[in-house]
Amino acid sequence: MRVPEQPLTLDAALSDEAVLSTYRRMFAALARDSGAVVDDPVLVDIAETLFAAFADAGEEWLTHEQMRLACGAYPADQFDNRLRVLKGLGAIREVFPKPNQLRYRASFTSVVGLMFIRRMMDDGGQSEMHRLLALEDLNVADPRTTMEEARQSAAGLARAFRLWALELITLTTGTIEELREQAPKLWGTEEIARRAQSVHGTILTRWPELDRVCTDLRAAIYAYSDASRRAAGRLADSAGTTRNLTLLPTETWRTFAQTATKERLAAVLDGFVFDAPAPWHDPAAIARAVDEAPRPAPAQPTPPRSTLPDPGPDGSLGAAREAAVERLRELAESLLGGESRVALADVLGPDWATARRVLADLTTVDLRPELPYRLAWSDGLTIDPSREPSWLSHGHLERTP
Amino acid sequence: MTADQAAHARARAQGPLRLGPGAPAPAGMTRLSGPDSSGMALPVWPDGVTPSLLEEHQVPPMPVERAGETRRVLAAVLKCCWADHSADPWPGEPAPLERVLDTYRALIGRTDDLMRNWAIGALRRLHDSAWVVVAGGIVSLGPRCALWPVESHAVLKDLVRRIPEPERRAVPVVPDAGLVAAALPEPAAPDQGAGSRAEPGVAEFDDLLSGYDERRRAELVSAFMVVEHAAEPVQEARFAALRDPALRRTLAEMLARRGRTLVQQRERWISGYADDLVRDEPPGGGPGESERAVLTLVLVHSVAIPRAEGLLPEDSWLSPHPAPVDELRRHTQLPIGELESALRALRHAGLVTQVKAGEEAGGYVPGPQFHRLTPEARRRLQEELILAAGPDTPLAVAVRARRAAR
Repeated sequence: MRVPEQPLTLDAALSDEAVLSTYRRMFAALARDSGAVVDDPVLVDIAETLFAAFADAGEEWLTHEQMRLACGAYPADQFDNRLRVLKGLGAIREVFPKPNQLRYRASFTSVVGLMFIRRMMDDGGQSEMHRLLALEDLNVADPRTTMEEARQSAAGLARAFRLWALELITLTTGTIEELREQAPKLWGTEEIARRAQSVHGTILTRWPELDRVCTDLRAAIYAYSDASRRAAGRLADSAGTTRNLTLLPTETWRTFAQTATKERLAAVLDGFVFDAPAPWHDPAAIARAVDEAPRPAPAQPTPPRSTLPDPGPDGSLGAAREAAVERLRELAESLLGGESRVALADVLGPDWATARRVLADLTTVDLRPELPYRLAWSDGLTIDPSREPSWLSHGHLERTP
Repeated sequence: MTADQAAHARARAQGPLRLGPGAPAPAGMTRLSGPDSSGMALPVWPDGVTPSLLEEHQVPPMPVERAGETRRVLAAVLKCCWADHSADPWPGEPAPLERVLDTYRALIGRTDDLMRNWAIGALRRLHDSAWVVVAGGIVSLGPRCALWPVESHAVLKDLVRRIPEPERRAVPVVPDAGLVAAALPEPAAPDQGAGSRAEPGVAEFDDLLSGYDERRRAELVSAFMVVEHAAEPVQEARFAALRDPALRRTLAEMLARRGRTLVQQRERWISGYADDLVRDEPPGGGPGESERAVLTLVLVHSVAIPRAEGLLPEDSWLSPHPAPVDELRRHTQLPIGELESALRALRHAGLVTQVKAGEEAGGYVPGPQFHRLTPEARRRLQEELILAAGPDTPLAVAVRARRAAR
């Protein structure tokens, strides 16, 4: 540890400690333990889940159990580790600092820090730069701003743009894969360069003495715009025709499709030549189409229906196997009517549709060994065109002992 | 760029060309002369072949929307308009629209309103592709009917005989001839009525083809027809004139005379508009403003977005990811009526293909015409999309800078 050269006063120590504790809290969400930064994004997710739970809890704050419950999706050891670190760094603290405290509260600074970090991770700080520039623009226009503050602001911006440009230049000369991955996060839009120039313009108009610093800033902005364009150009050249469309984010495409006017959409295809519709209708194909014309369907007669009462299949479907057997037994008994043997010609019914059903049922009866009925066929055949069925094999339904 | 090349490109992009009185047809086109010696010009094919040659080679041609129905309606028009079977079908006689619809009704045996709507839709498609001309309730055969080869007229005669005469529900108050006479402007339109005749075109490839024996010549003509009319690029292994570099060179020269160029996709080939022609002398015509707007939307949804999500690696403007109909209907600035009629026109031209999936789902993907974009056109299309969607992005700046440097 470095020993301060000046004697440490109590006030100085206190203010140092205040700054340090803010820093620690800001990066608490990223710390693996009190001394290092996390290496697993899940650990950040735990912190975020916890902060969300705290926000929902309001002034009730949270107990240890409630915190565990909120993070139920994560393994217990990860949760404990995270809570220890967050507590150690002051991102989560006891509501009242006294022993055996059960309720905890979350630090506002840590939540804001986490939001900031998430955004930085998403777009490499572009939106932060936008905000920063907007704020600087307001600041330098504020009558209370001093020249010294403006100088610092201009110098700070110049440094940021230089570093930004340097990083892009390094990427542009590196591998194409790295460039493809990183560049869209780094290169700025025209908008950023415009805003920076507006800040520059305001400073220079108000304080012509700051000419030197402003020249620096101007150079840095140009360097940055140039590096952006160079990186985009190299990517566009190397990527050929396939990859370029990946370089605009999906959201940009959606916004374009949803908001563009008809004229703007149509202008994309100006100067492209397409074929007029010119299908070929060959005489043979025309003749084939005429032959295949759908013919009006003739009216179809309704299929014949049985005269036996037919409640439909709803009762038999899904019923127990025994029910089916029982129905067959009842049918056989009703046909036999107490006799031990009846001629089929007498029981088949008046028309073919009924006869067909009865015959089908009797055949089933015959094929079931557990039922005591059999069909016995003989060689005789009656042919009578006037009755139904006209062709009738001779046979008997018999009760077996 | 010669006048003939530009004329062929115009005929492909816009349909039959109008010719002033006495103006000769460009080489490789037939002249359809009206009674007043003005006329129309339509490309013909070498050695008397027609696109039905694709069928012999089992190469699918550009898909025809509702092909069966469209062709039956064309048959009905032919039945009504081809009065004198000793003459060629074209130009034939104009006929009232109602008679054509009655004939179609008798042909398919249906009389409901739906049938009438379908027939009207088919007539509109036939009109748009110059197979029939519908104007003021009068239908006549369109200029493309003049391209039916003489040998096939027997098939057509037989076909027309087989189509039943329509039952007239009542004797018309005004006879057909009177209706037609009342509807036609005086003097008769150049593509209708007596005095019209088709003059065969000047052969344009003979100097290229005469050096080859009969078999090679046939191979060249087949390959020419196939790359010009196929729905998709064809395998070079299947056509000698694509496989053999020397023959392919001759093929490229034949195409160049019509302002066309070969487009290669790995071992497959198709033809497209030559880049210098599109740049120096764009043929004009083509889809209207709302059609182009809808086509751009389809390209964004089915190509640009899937590609931004890394789902579409190839350098192609075709895509298996349909632009959802719902997205087009609800989340764009285009009125639904305009959208629907634009989609209909785009479908008919093969610029979009409908992908069906259930009643409401499904959507549109870029159609087979996108196979015909040259690498240069594909790159330009991509740049135009980037310039339109993200004009402030560094990518757009790079595109503009590169264009300025050229």
